[in-house]
Amino acid sequence: MTSSKTVQTDIPRHEDIVDERLVRWFFYASLVYMGISMLGGLLMAAQLVHWYPIQNIEFLSAGRWRMIHTNAVAYGFIANAFLGMLHWVVPRLTLHRVASVWLSYFIFFAWQVIVLSTAGGIIFGPAFQSQDWVMEAARNLHISMNLGAQGLEWGETPFWIDPVALLGLALVAFNFLVPISKAKGSLYVTLWYFMAAFVWTFLTYAMGNFLPEYALAGSSAGAVGGLFIHDLVGLFVTPLGWGLMYYLVPIILKKPIWSHGLSLVGFWGLAFFYPLQGIHHFLYTPIPMFLQYGAVISTIAVEFVVATVVINFFGTIWGDSRMAFKNLPIRWFYTGIVYYFITCFQCALQVTLTFQKLIHFTDWVVGHAHLVMFGVFSQWIFGMMTYLIPRLLKKDWYSNRLCEWHYWCSAVGVFVMFLDLTLAGLFQGYYWAALQPWEVGLNGSQPFWITRIFAGLAMFFGFLCFVYNLVMTMRKGESNATATATA
Amino acid sequence: MESKLAKQIRIWITIVAGAFILIFSGLGFGAKFIELIHTFTGESDGVFAITPMVNYLLATMGFFCMLIWATLNGMFNDVEGPKQTMLERDEMLDAK
Ligand code: HEM
Repeated sequence: MTSSKTVQTDIPRHEDIVDERLVRWFFYASLVYMGISMLGGLLMAAQLVHWYPIQNIEFLSAGRWRMIHTNAVAYGFIANAFLGMLHWVVPRLTLHRVASVWLSYFIFFAWQVIVLSTAGGIIFGPAFQSQDWVMEAARNLHISMNLGAQGLEWGETPFWIDPVALLGLALVAFNFLVPISKAKGSLYVTLWYFMAAFVWTFLTYAMGNFLPEYALAGSSAGAVGGLFIHDLVGLFVTPLGWGLMYYLVPIILKKPIWSHGLSLVGFWGLAFFYPLQGIHHFLYTPIPMFLQYGAVISTIAVEFVVATVVINFFGTIWGDSRMAFKNLPIRWFYTGIVYYFITCFQCALQVTLTFQKLIHFTDWVVGHAHLVMFGVFSQWIFGMMTYLIPRLLKKDWYSNRLCEWHYWCSAVGVFVMFLDLTLAGLFQGYYWAALQPWEVGLNGSQPFWITRIFAGLAMFFGFLCFVYNLVMTMRKGESNATATATA
Repeated sequence: MESKLAKQIRIWITIVAGAFILIFSGLGFGAKFIELIHTFTGESDGVFAITPMVNYLLATMGFFCMLIWATLNGMFNDVEGPKQTMLERDEMLDAK
């Protein structure tokens, strides 16, 4: 272990290792995509209750907005926000700057081009599809030239962007693995999670976007698609999210994580058990039962792993629980942790074949998806921004009350949405199991879908409060920034 | 400062949780592995199972090597050390 004395002499200046401007840029970009995604979600929700406001414009049809909604969140909001955080956390943990700051700037612009081209492909791709020159090229090059969305859930990035995105991921991995490799002493758990995420995201993206497109067909492609969807959440978003939590919670609470040993148990458990469970999305499909049961078993193994992580975070805040009320970033984080526990508890039910019989293809799954993507990871990101923005701008928040509005609208809004869709899913499952006509299920879903719009509007309102607060904070005069926002 | 009892509780929870995960998951995975061999040799489905299995092995093999490398390099000799170092470094960075 490196002693604190040696550390003290080696310690660089924060300004020399962290490029704060880059962190800010990534945050701003991520917020733009979040706004677009929420708008897309609201439009899609409106379509389901026959209130779709943009009629008869093919480019802006609801189906395309749905894909914009999910892609803007995953690759626009979450990826940008995490990249911003990584530029803050990795140098501070390793005491080394990224491999190249120029590369970081290149990655910033390249990533925006990738996300925007994905949106362009989704919206305009199908219109180009039928052009003569495209058909001609497809014939000559013997490729599908499917310019619009790729037919793979979460992998809708059109096929021509995939190689560029993969290259982008390789550059990201290189840029951060260099400082991690220079870190002295035993690695802190956050860095283990980050290293894993860089390798996994690259592999997962390659597997999901290339194998079903070029090498596999039928249920084999379906099985890999299942792995891809789940691995994207579990091997890209989860390790980065937990890695950041393991860094930020101790920093803000000013006390170490309860058990570093337990956190390593959680990390290695995730490493070995997570990659097999994707097929649990496809229970009852033609995929051989052998693989379906395998996915069930590894999902149960991951449940144990998750329990260790949650125990560790509650062990850490033990004795300081009032911080969860007083300190807003900590409140965001622990709300997310509680929601995470709920989603994992849901998983324990969902993964049984008995339960799947009822909820498969219903809105239960959509409720689950919102709780995990918004309730957990987006709320963590908002907590990170609430904590870091005053430090980045060297100013206190313009309004702490608006920060509170953001928190309450988001935390309550998403929970209402989750409960509402969970119930909707159960109703739909029973309608279908009773072999009711399809319209009966649709009509029965309407009250739930209307409620979802209002929950979504609350979340959107909270988000607008945050953006307004940010703009006003940027515009207000200099003041002394406190390290922790609204502490 | 953590009391002796609290420290012991923490160590025991870590060991029990680790053992729990390893034993039960190990049994589950072991059984599935034997089943894989039977499926692979005896059923037409067997070949199909190869793609996800190879993906899994690719994804985890690297980590297995890394686990061994980290253990041999003494990364886990002082398991609780890094959590203190991390906090100290961060405070010093802010103090500079
Ligand atoms: C303004 C609030 C939001 C509304 C009204 C909304 C609405 C919707 C709708 C209508 C769908 C399509 C469901 C279907 O196909 O039946 C959807 C899907 C989805 N949304 Fe949202 N959404 C909102 C915010 C978010 C946010 C902020 C995230 C992530 C951070 C998110 C993540 C997802 C995911 C992952 C799916 C795919 C679910 C699946 O395929 O199972 N949504 N959303």
